[in-house]
Amino acid sequence: MLIRKERCVGCGRCQPYCPVGAIHFEELKSVVDQEVCYECGTCLRSEICPVDAVEESPYVYDYPRALRKFFSDPNATHALTGIAGRGTEESKSNDVINRVVPGEVGIAIEFGRPTLGMDLKNIQKVTRAMAKAGFTKIEPENPFNDMIQNYETGDLKQELMGEKVLSAIMEFKAKPDRLGLALRTIKEAAKEVDSVFVVDVYTRLEPGLTVPKEIIETIEAEGYTRRPNAKINMGLGRANKRKDL
Amino acid sequence: MTHSLHREGPLDLLNQEYVLFVYPARGFNYDGSGPRVRRLGELLFHQGPANLLVTTLRKNMYLAISQEEILDSIKDGAKIFCVLENREKIKDTLAKIKEMDEGISIVISGVIDRVREISAELGLNPHTINLSLGIHGRTDRLPPADIRQFTTMCGHGMVSPTLIRDLIRRVKTGKLDLWEASLIAAAPCS
Repeated sequence: MLIRKERCVGCGRCQPYCPVGAIHFEELKSVVDQEVCYECGTCLRSEICPVDAVEESPYVYDYPRALRKFFSDPNATHALTGIAGRGTEESKSNDVINRVVPGEVGIAIEFGRPTLGMDLKNIQKVTRAMAKAGFTKIEPENPFNDMIQNYETGDLKQELMGEKVLSAIMEFKAKPDRLGLALRTIKEAAKEVDSVFVVDVYTRLEPGLTVPKEIIETIEAEGYTRRPNAKINMGLGRANKRKDL
Repeated sequence: MTHSLHREGPLDLLNQEYVLFVYPARGFNYDGSGPRVRRLGELLFHQGPANLLVTTLRKNMYLAISQEEILDSIKDGAKIFCVLENREKIKDTLAKIKEMDEGISIVISGVIDRVREISAELGLNPHTINLSLGIHGRTDRLPPADIRQFTTMCGHGMVSPTLIRDLIRRVKTGKLDLWEASLIAAAPCS
């Protein structure tokens, strides 16, 4: 994002809208620090500027800078998936697509959330740790695949190392007996990063909105705390054409 | 403010919040989903949502746009995010959605125990759950918990902690009332 200096009247109204504090005063005008900016577009969408001085940078879709846009602006549709968002549809349409079936568990690491964002050097610390533990298969339609150089080592593309994202979701499946290893590895990797991420686990439910006992026991055994709120797919969807999975 | 898997706040507040997603699945029921999603959107407006957003417009219902404009923006693949603010309202809404049987995925983000009770009362069999296992890493860098109660209403991190602090200050000094501040806080979440 950028603010046209010749238009800016220096009111500063745009500044509190930036989720990462990238806008500041310079010579009585608001300026976007290009290094700090994630290209999320919140300052523009807020329509707070009284003189329309806030604009999208002409370089925002240039590679590799475009990564910031695709993984930070919820309105930006990623070219790989056609989905506006950072991950796939996770559990949200699982009643229709059966991405995760009984006997499987979905795991998501949401880098940069809830607020700080994360650079790719830090994300790579986690992807390398996960690869070393044998978690090398990422959900095929997840735009996170776009960052990966080598699935076996967890290395990300070198040209992206100067970039950062407000949120990118590394999403993969495992058998329940591998959940403990995954959660343990994530917890260890968390000690190495300079920002934050959130962890989700999604699973098919048993009757009565019951989470499989094995999943609950593993989560607790690894020292994780579940939030009392969750996203729950109510089982009311169906496919136009049933796909055998 | 709709993507609330990692929403933080006291349980008594969370118990009053139900976020409902209408979610067609790419490649499975996108085609022809527009009219079905629109009918669900009409129902949701009728139920009196606290907020509602359609992904083809990406503007919440308070941003000077009419209900018709929001509904007219719906086409195949459009999703709806909607907030209903009490248990009876979400229960009644789910009962009606079940009866409509549009075949589009419905997701509720809310307190698990409450959704379990409502599902049992309506004879629904929830299919999949996405559990949040919390924030990890440099949590010392996060804004304090009282600010996160607001910012985590937006799962995409679009609501700036600085904006929330600014709004709190303006409410405390009488420059804004709570409703005005709420509208400003909700606007960046799209």
